[in-house]
Amino acid sequence: MSPEPAPPEPARYAIAGVEPSSVRRPATREEVAGILRDAARDGLTVVPWGGGVSLARGRAPRRYGLALDLTALDRVVEYSPEDMTVTAECGVTLGALREALAAHGQETALEGARAERATLGGLLAANASGPRRLRFGAPRDRILGAHFALADGTLARSGGRVVKNVAGYAIHRLLCGSRGGLGVLLEVSLKLAPAPARRVALLFGTGARALGDATRWAALPRLEPALLTIVGQGLAGTLPVASPTDPFTVIVGLEDDEPRVDQQISALERLLGEPDARLEDDSATALWQALADLEDRDGARLTFTSPANTPAALAPLIERPGVSAGALFHAAAGRLHIFPGATAARDLIEPLATGGFRLIEAVAGDGDPAGVASLGPLIAPQAAVLDLRARIRAALDPAGVMAYGPRWQRDDLPEGAPRACRT
Amino acid sequence: MDWTPDILAELRALLGDDGVLDSGAARFAYEADALTLERGLPDVVVLPRSTDEVAALVRWAHASGVPVTPRGAGTGLAGGATPHRGGMLLVTSRMDQVLALDPERMFAWVQPGLVNARLSELAAPHGLHFAPDPSSQPVSTIGGNVAANAGGPHCLKHGVTANHVLGLVVVLHDGSVVTLGGEAPDAPDAELASVLAGSEGTLGILCEICVRLVPRPEAVHTMSVDFARIEDACRAVSAVIAAGIVPAAMELMDRRTMELVEAWLHLGLPLDAAAALIVEVDGPAVSLPAQVERITAITREHGARSVRVASDAAERAALWRGRKSSFGAYGRTGLAFTQMDGTVPRSRLAEVVSAVYALAEARGLAAGTLMHAGDGNLHPHILFDPDDEEQHRAALEVSQEILRVCIRLGGTISGEHGIGLEKIPMMGEIYAPADLETMSRLRRAFDPGGLLNPGKILPGGPPPTHARAAAQPGNTDARNDPEGPWK
Ligand SMILES: Cc1cc2nc3c(=O)[nH]c(=O)nc-3n(C[C@H](O)[C@H](O)[C@H](O)COP(=O)(O)OP(=O)(O)OC[C@H]3O[C@@H](n4cnc5c(N)ncnc54)[C@H](O)[C@@H]3O)c2cc1C
Repeated sequence: MSPEPAPPEPARYAIAGVEPSSVRRPATREEVAGILRDAARDGLTVVPWGGGVSLARGRAPRRYGLALDLTALDRVVEYSPEDMTVTAECGVTLGALREALAAHGQETALEGARAERATLGGLLAANASGPRRLRFGAPRDRILGAHFALADGTLARSGGRVVKNVAGYAIHRLLCGSRGGLGVLLEVSLKLAPAPARRVALLFGTGARALGDATRWAALPRLEPALLTIVGQGLAGTLPVASPTDPFTVIVGLEDDEPRVDQQISALERLLGEPDARLEDDSATALWQALADLEDRDGARLTFTSPANTPAALAPLIERPGVSAGALFHAAAGRLHIFPGATAARDLIEPLATGGFRLIEAVAGDGDPAGVASLGPLIAPQAAVLDLRARIRAALDPAGVMAYGPRWQRDDLPEGAPRACRT
Repeated sequence: MDWTPDILAELRALLGDDGVLDSGAARFAYEADALTLERGLPDVVVLPRSTDEVAALVRWAHASGVPVTPRGAGTGLAGGATPHRGGMLLVTSRMDQVLALDPERMFAWVQPGLVNARLSELAAPHGLHFAPDPSSQPVSTIGGNVAANAGGPHCLKHGVTANHVLGLVVVLHDGSVVTLGGEAPDAPDAELASVLAGSEGTLGILCEICVRLVPRPEAVHTMSVDFARIEDACRAVSAVIAAGIVPAAMELMDRRTMELVEAWLHLGLPLDAAAALIVEVDGPAVSLPAQVERITAITREHGARSVRVASDAAERAALWRGRKSSFGAYGRTGLAFTQMDGTVPRSRLAEVVSAVYALAEARGLAAGTLMHAGDGNLHPHILFDPDDEEQHRAALEVSQEILRVCIRLGGTISGEHGIGLEKIPMMGEIYAPADLETMSRLRRAFDPGGLLNPGKILPGGPPPTHARAAAQPGNTDARNDPEGPWK
């Protein structure tokens, strides 16, 4: 892909209705550096753009000068299947990268919504964490090194391409989840995984009582499924499976060799009975993507993190049928999304906090019927961490050019329920 | 800093009498980690018991302008725990408690001085273990493992230490205490915790660590495969990975390493082979026979002379005993040696190994190597006579050349041991000035006063005592004791 001759329309880069004053779409690292230097000189703030999947639902930056579209930096730079690593530019889409790897029976093991549009850089910067997180880790567990640009146009690198490397500070890990607030990811190396010989999804329709029954699920984590996801009835209708009649669908994903998957299936059937549906291989893969896409639904979204790893953790929600219908819980990844519709977000947070769920992200949705905007800070920040973040930000972006990245903007900080250190 | 009796009394009031060591002998005992050529006497050694005590010490050091160097078990191989600017050496050995262990949700909060193997012992009754397994695990601490981002044979399949850290309670440069991450996978500030991993004590003092525990594998098969040519062994490793198999471990010993181990432990290693691989697969019992069969076929295709699967736990233990004693086997030669920790893409192992022997031979030196081959991480040793300055210099030059080969092949200068003092001179060869400046900006953000383990990792400080260091001959530490912890 070559850069568009005429810069794309600013309207395409609106964040919460706010448009940038200009757009650039560089095709090389050096061009990125030049654009950043110019922006710093002209006092323009910058928001890096990948596929815009996460930004499209973001909050408006205070100042929004330049949208830096990175999708023209889309080369797979080096792929050596026998090393099980890949190096790619950050504008490559997840879909294109997956295709290149699938040809050699390998995968990134990272998932994100809208794989055909989401870029590798966006996925990492948003710390997208898929339902298979427990087995494969988060982006910062897969990244081996990165080339990045700082706000002043400095091109720098940390880490490398090899799977073991302790030379210097792992700035590449710090950039995972930074949402463009510290610099611009340009090229990254990732540790890959072999695609499993067999992939199966078992779906179990589950009533509220059974879902809350801790003993029913207790043995599941030790079976080491690749994913364990609970979908409320209101969301399950959009999945590529028959419409469920039960309030919850529990999806167990198995990825392994044939004999192991057979063994896991028998064990699950002993524990949970016959599944209501079973998807194999490509259909299972399509289901994983559909689950990731669910996170990109319209409307309000509340995202929580929790060490809980079985469906029973949802017990505090079960009493609220309207809400549980909009729950998506990746139990093996400790991540719960709730699409509360018009239910007051405030009323949900308290009961979930008692169940060990901490709110880490809140998207208001059109008109904010759930009252997300009035929630106040999601995470009561620790004063010393705020100071540390401010120092890091001042060290890497002293002029405050990078305009996004919530946790890196002091006056734009999240938020939250009081934090507990240890339970 | 003038360590007046008043100051020492104040520290003793905080830590108790046995928590403050300032005698010459005690300070001498802590002047180096396992890289014994770099030395530096601490002014005082402190042994706190709790996060609060660490915070108080660091607050005091911050106010007084005293450098603080954290130390776990001191098994580091890069001089990371050497207090070469003096000041306070903060030793975590009394912070060795498990604070919480949750077998259902599979995590534990521990103090940093807890010994790695002890955690797995405590988790075993729950069917769990702590996966990172550096060969030093019988003595090295979890805090040291996290600060060094330690690897180990089984990191091939299970990931390095950083992948097992969920959260940290850290004392920052000014003594403030923060929680970064936590038991939930996306707990706030986890990305900051991920930078502390591998920071070698230069960004903060790790005081409480939340680690992931994982189920112990149901079954394990350990194979020993030997080769007439070491390059074939390297290619076999790469071919196994390319076939989509990720064994739990793939470890290599070359002939010299086997000879040294054999002379010590008499395990019956195949001394006529150029190299032996230990390949271990673990996981569900039903999965393993097919993996063993495929690995056997692949290694045979690549010239394996013999493939033996350990028939019982005793045989398996013997295989691992040989491998895990390799370091110690070099230590007891009486010869001095340099030891490297380069990593290359696994497909380039054969090239780098050929280069190791060629470079050493060109200078008339003997070389031997062991490897975490599955990860492309190799530990070549270049032997030399310590009384021969010419040889010593040649060994240092060969070592640097080997690391340059690693860099040229797309690899790095340290896979797991860290930069510490030892590898600072090589940092400028692997990173551009802008990279190092960016890292140093980050470091100043964490430690504006430059008092946390100063002089480590980044170039710019006074040069270490030796441009590169070598292990001392005739060491009397545990590595040389056949009944010592390294077995
Ligand atoms: C025989 C032998 C075998 C080894 N095998 C391996 C191996 O297989 N894989 C591997 O990776 N390493 C290996 N090592 C190296 C070493 O054991 C590891 O680096 C280990 O992680 C160090 O742990 P330690 O407790 O000894 O830490 P120390 O050596 O005491 O310290 C290591 C570094 O961490 C810092 N540090 C220690 N505690 C803290 C803390 N609480 N907060 C902040 N910083 C801290 C220190 O300042 C220092 O920079 C081996 C060493 C030996 C001697």
